[in-house]
Amino acid sequence: MKIIFSRIVSTLLLLLASSLAVFAAIRFSGGDVTAARMPASASAADRELFRKQIGLDQPILKQYITYMGNFVTGDLGNSLTSNARISSLAVEKIRNSLILGGSSLLIVFLVGVPLGMIAALRRNTWVDTGITSFSVAGMAVPNFWLALIAIHLFASTLHWLPSGGQGGFKSVILPALVLSAEGIALTVRITRSAMLENIGQDFVRTLRASGFSERRIYFKHVLRSSLLPIISLAGLRVGQVVGYALVVETIFGWPGVGQILVNAVLRRDYPVIQFFSLLLVVVVTLGNLLASIGYTLANPRLRK
Amino acid sequence: MSQTPLLELRDLSVGLKGDRVEYDIVRNINLSIYQNEILAIVGESGCGKSLTALSILGLHASPPLRITSGSITYDGRDLTKVSPEELRKVRGAEIAMIFQDPMSALDPMFTVGTLLTSAIRAHKKVTDSAAEKIAHECLADAGIEDPRRRFGEFPFQLSGGVSQRVMIALALVNNPKILIADEPTTALDVTVQAQILERLKDLKNERGMSIMLITHNLGVVASVADRMAVMYTGEIVEIGSVQNVFSVPQHPYTTGLLGAVPRLGSNSVALVPIIGRVPLPDNLPKGCTFADRCGRVVPECGVNRPELVSRGAAEVRCFNPFR
Repeated sequence: MKIIFSRIVSTLLLLLASSLAVFAAIRFSGGDVTAARMPASASAADRELFRKQIGLDQPILKQYITYMGNFVTGDLGNSLTSNARISSLAVEKIRNSLILGGSSLLIVFLVGVPLGMIAALRRNTWVDTGITSFSVAGMAVPNFWLALIAIHLFASTLHWLPSGGQGGFKSVILPALVLSAEGIALTVRITRSAMLENIGQDFVRTLRASGFSERRIYFKHVLRSSLLPIISLAGLRVGQVVGYALVVETIFGWPGVGQILVNAVLRRDYPVIQFFSLLLVVVVTLGNLLASIGYTLANPRLRK
Repeated sequence: MSQTPLLELRDLSVGLKGDRVEYDIVRNINLSIYQNEILAIVGESGCGKSLTALSILGLHASPPLRITSGSITYDGRDLTKVSPEELRKVRGAEIAMIFQDPMSALDPMFTVGTLLTSAIRAHKKVTDSAAEKIAHECLADAGIEDPRRRFGEFPFQLSGGVSQRVMIALALVNNPKILIADEPTTALDVTVQAQILERLKDLKNERGMSIMLITHNLGVVASVADRMAVMYTGEIVEIGSVQNVFSVPQHPYTTGLLGAVPRLGSNSVALVPIIGRVPLPDNLPKGCTFADRCGRVVPECGVNRPELVSRGAAEVRCFNPFR
């Protein structure tokens, strides 16, 4: 209980610190939204007027206090480019990103863990070599390159799947797979090495000596011990999926948090950047929190 | 020993087979275990006593280790030839085994109760309550004071002594005829050692079990065993009743071993070490493997390998034994 409370407090402090960091960083990065909103021919005086209207002429600290004041009363502000309310934008974007990120995490573990187990059980055979080589490739290949190759092959050439956009189940497949590639590779390796390490443990010999079947030893006892590093990895994965989602959503035109954030950064749409980057911080922190809760539940030494 | 043995190892050799190397580590073991006896196998580290024990249940690391010749006969079957499933049915149910380091020998992720009841279920279909009852009884039989509490605990909550008792309980749940105990007290402190050994002795008497006790501790042998086999470089060099081997040792290695044991209250100050080093299994001398270190060496020792032959009440592998 005390641990959970201190986790919540530290999460809130982290959010406060990152809100300030984001706020300052985007304002010091040069340029502002006038370039996106006003024609190139607009006069300097017009631009100044527009800045005044949206409050950009104020000192940064004052802007920050105003923003946070609105934020805590539930007013997230409007987009500076489309004037849409951010709260109404958020729902749809978050849902889309959850679909993509969720299916990616699901793929990572539903594919990665069994492949890692197979590699461990067939160690030093061609099956193991094949799986391990693929996982090395999965880690080495950058996801933007993989995305382009996947679009070229499955969309442009074979016409099996749409090249982008969001239109039902088929459109999730390519971006979710690309987003999962590195995760699968890492999960395969972690699962394989954890399984191999645990198969060599003394307790496995005891189970064999007691007449447990090999299947039960692998799938219940060895896997159970191997879950701990896999759960830790899951926490890290959340952060990486969030990071990669920026690239993958942009390439596939997937209308999620990543895409809107990248566009907002390009146009210096401050309120949008502010909200969605904080959202990502929340997701990463929450992912880690869930992973450490899961780790505690799965480990009797911590549970007791 | 006119009765038929429960378990009989005949001419058993276990070897290492790698890409470039191939040699036997345990060679030509002939050994029988009879009902209701404790047979101790003694020898220094690396003499092959643990490997011999592990190979009985096929628990040696295979590959690279494998049984290269001989047979292990139990209940009319050769355990070196049966299918993996048949061997699994023997493990725990007919012949059980406990190990040296009890703390790492128990699966850390499951409670004592889950381990014991699933071990029962590995061999027979029983209801939850029946399995639980057997588990409680075996924990009590293994000398655990509070079976009900231990049942719900995880291995990390147990001390070394309690862990070894849990291991014993785990070995007892399917009521095996033979218990192989591979250095069961080496990792425990002395008072706990004595209690565990007492327990093993009681189990032999109460359940009529046979116990094969692997140890390097001659004191342990003297206090619990009925018969003993002395191993050196993968071979049995002397085998006989404990009383016999202790009072009239015949093999020079056995006398050397006994001479190297400190005795409380004895007048001699220095222990007598055996000179020289143990030869490695991939580079054994021709003839007797103990010849280079032996004080009673005769010309034949360097030429031929002695056989294990009956001599008096014991069997000895030596051309020039004592007495």
